[in-house]
Amino acid sequence: MTLIVQKNSSELQLSAAAVPSFSAMWQAAALGAIALASCGHLLIKLGLTSAAQGAIGLGLLAKIAHYLLQPIVVGGLAVYGLGTALWIYAVSQRNISFLYPLTALNYVIVTLGGKFLFGEVIPSGRWIGIGVVAIGVGLLQLSAKETQA
Amino acid sequence: MNASAALWVSILLGACAQVFLKKGVSPRGAVEGPVSYLSLLRSGWVWAWAVCFFFATGLWLVAISSIQLSYAFPLLSVGYPIVGVLSILMLKERVPATRWIAIAVITLGVALIFRTA
Repeated sequence: MTLIVQKNSSELQLSAAAVPSFSAMWQAAALGAIALASCGHLLIKLGLTSAAQGAIGLGLLAKIAHYLLQPIVVGGLAVYGLGTALWIYAVSQRNISFLYPLTALNYVIVTLGGKFLFGEVIPSGRWIGIGVVAIGVGLLQLSAKETQA
Repeated sequence: MNASAALWVSILLGACAQVFLKKGVSPRGAVEGPVSYLSLLRSGWVWAWAVCFFFATGLWLVAISSIQLSYAFPLLSVGYPIVGVLSILMLKERVPATRWIAIAVITLGVALIFRTA
């Protein structure tokens, strides 16, 4: 369970220079963490909803066990756990005042997923909100350049 | 505890959890070299993160069982400026003006997304 970060390898420096900012490992980790957390939440919710019928009449402990043993819930928890591991890596590399607001990308991912995966109709006002969040994330990137973190 | 109080305590605990995690993982800038997940278990700050995270999630579930998601979700973004302030106080992070503006813009964007939800 050890992640090796080869900060000084010439290969990494070369690729970082070729594609500034988005090639960095922590970026992938942060974006992956945010995406996996939303997927995990969706799976857990899906599993809990579909298991609700079978939980009727069970005691509290039996009910919790019934929910936790649902394959979809177990899968959701695993995805969520993987997202958390990626998040911890990102947190080890960057300021938390920079990383935490990035999680607003969650709303963007969920909205785009709703449109392209489930064919949801997105009201125009919500697209404006998504654009504003995207501008904010761009500004965050600028602020990261100022502090080098 | 009523639902509204649960919601606000959940937001506060969630924000504290993130700062505690940073404190436990790398209080001064980026970690150089390998990040060992197992050694994190020895950090009290990492445990503080886990406990806060657990209760924040529990209280969140209590809150949204009676508060509409479209009202509760955008309030989560109140956590961004709280983390900004705590990161200065507890981690001595330098938060440039651009980042405060970015946080304000993101919070506004989240509010706009859910105004039409």
